[in-house]
Amino acid sequence: MTTPDDPAERATGSAGPDSHALSTAVSEAPESPGGAEAAGPGGRPWVRQLVRWGAIGLTAVLLGTLGYLWYDSRVPSTLSVMDMGYADWGGGAVPVGGHQHAGGVSVAGLTGPSGVPAVVVSLTAREESFALATGERVEGYTLNHASPGPEIRARVGDLVQVDLVNESVPDGVALHWHGVRVPNAEDGVAGVTQDAVPVGGRHTYRFVVGDAGTYWYHSHQVSHEQVKGGLFGALVVLPAAGSDAAGSDAGAASADVVAQVHTYDGRRTVQGATGERRVAAPSGVATRVRVINTDNGPLRVSVTGAPYRVVAVDGHDLHGPSDVTDRVVAVAAGGRVDLSVTPPVGGGAVRVDLGAGSSLVLGPAGASAPAAVTPAATLDLLSYGTSAPVSLDTGHFDRDFALTIDRWPGFLDGRPGLWWTMNGHFYPNVPMFMVREGDIVRMTITNDSGEVHPMHLHGHVALVLSRNGVAASGSPWWTDSLDVDEGESYVVAFRADNPGIWMDHCHNLPHAADGMIAHLAYEGYTTPYVIGGTADNEPE
Amino acid sequence: MRSLYIWLSRLIALGVVVQVLVIAWSAFDIYNKAGDGVPFTEDTERNIGAALHSVIGMMIIPVLALLFAIVSFFAKVRGGVALAWAVFGLVVLQIALAFASFAAPVVGTLHALNAFAVAGVAGMAGARAARPDPTLAAPARSSDPGVTAGA
Repeated sequence: MTTPDDPAERATGSAGPDSHALSTAVSEAPESPGGAEAAGPGGRPWVRQLVRWGAIGLTAVLLGTLGYLWYDSRVPSTLSVMDMGYADWGGGAVPVGGHQHAGGVSVAGLTGPSGVPAVVVSLTAREESFALATGERVEGYTLNHASPGPEIRARVGDLVQVDLVNESVPDGVALHWHGVRVPNAEDGVAGVTQDAVPVGGRHTYRFVVGDAGTYWYHSHQVSHEQVKGGLFGALVVLPAAGSDAAGSDAGAASADVVAQVHTYDGRRTVQGATGERRVAAPSGVATRVRVINTDNGPLRVSVTGAPYRVVAVDGHDLHGPSDVTDRVVAVAAGGRVDLSVTPPVGGGAVRVDLGAGSSLVLGPAGASAPAAVTPAATLDLLSYGTSAPVSLDTGHFDRDFALTIDRWPGFLDGRPGLWWTMNGHFYPNVPMFMVREGDIVRMTITNDSGEVHPMHLHGHVALVLSRNGVAASGSPWWTDSLDVDEGESYVVAFRADNPGIWMDHCHNLPHAADGMIAHLAYEGYTTPYVIGGTADNEPE
Repeated sequence: MRSLYIWLSRLIALGVVVQVLVIAWSAFDIYNKAGDGVPFTEDTERNIGAALHSVIGMMIIPVLALLFAIVSFFAKVRGGVALAWAVFGLVVLQIALAFASFAAPVVGTLHALNAFAVAGVAGMAGARAARPDPTLAAPARSSDPGVTAGA
């Protein structure tokens, strides 16, 4: 370190005659071009030193900046969502007190009703090795020794009670009722609406199901590992007994097949079985196939052998669905579509292809199914079906939020990389969408990040208004898990009618674990739970 | 400092070679498993080759390149600073190209091409630093007297 200083000292020592130095350097240049090159900019030693130390200084600034960004990115071991990121009021009323840090109603009290439950289920979560329906062994998680866990069926208006016991899941568990508009304390998000249930602990969920449709439940504690490992199951809500819909073919339990698609250890399965799964279905009778995408990527479903109809999306029936023959239907991660499939009267079977070698074959016993043909085109739900009046007034909005997803280099909790941003910020500096009970909310979700993101809002169902400026023209499209692809911009609307603190995150769960988590917060409500903390809550 | 400069340049070039090895392993592993009917989706675990490629490419080589760029100021290698910072710049470009390739796979060809540039420039810098006799010894002689003469 001292040697390089020598020329500098000499140069300053002889600062006066530097014109000589210059002329010498210039005159020497033709003799030894190598020397001139070595002298660098200006050729004068002091200039060289200035440039060198300037460069070193800039490097120090660069390192200092990187160090600061690294230091600043670290996420505290205990973090309340109430302190996470910044409040976005969406152009609506800002309370006099500003933020609700001063307190508010604890979401812990927003529980389901008391009374005698119509459906009671006990679920015991375990970490164990289990066999798929087709025999392959998987190291993962089970509910009542099975994955997928037990299917829960209820009718509209039923009070459902689920007693969750954690027998052996080391990280703890929490169950989220995906798509169901439960009271906030029943939402099952560790660190937001409850503490993770530790080994030996138990937790009871109680809620009334209000919308007939296809839903699912899954762990919301270390979800990117636990859901992948098998901690999930189906929840089917049938129309209330005696209602009009209960008698129609769409509601009849006899012609109703649940198809949970999940990838275990790199094996795509439907209802826990790899390959082709046969389901007996009479010719000429419509069967409702409830496809649930429990994976992290979009699922493309094709039907070969007969036309099909998409009769519901995310637990909400579509209006006036027409026959589809030449299109696949895409299901966002976490999303559901109900297909109406009718095996042809001639006696053949219908193949519902679920990709990656997995399919359902519906038809009379022994009927042969055609090989899967996967059309290149995808059904556009924006213009599918026919329009109908909706129960949401979209003429005026109390809040107008923007959620823009991008990807930038930086540090996430100290790790360098290219990370997802929400409205330009890395986790945990993410937006907190502030609403007041009763608000009609509009949200514009834009994706510039290069990858598709299945955006999932808890506790609410949103109506799709437009995509890339094109207004929805088909059936009202209600969704809770919406694939927003690269370059797309969706405008959705919902009524803020379910108070509490709700996650609004990407359902590609590794993305969520990498910070694609925002939340919707109602004015006047707060949560006593924290991410991290003594319960080691880690929702994603 | 000069020997550290040389060793860092060699480690970076070696890192590029390792990257080529592991990504080839990863690609053939995918072909092999796909032949056995294993699907590759968003829910597929990355294989070891791909995981190594990611760690070496996103963590190890960038850190080496940054160290290399810093060390270059003190290594007294002719043109060494420019070469070291060129390596650093190429590594940054390499990461950008990698992420661009996920959206547009054909860009991956540029990612591969740029890998040769990283290894080539790092190798060139190391070779220049390791051969002091014809290049550095001469200018050291010619520039020192120059300063003295001026003084």
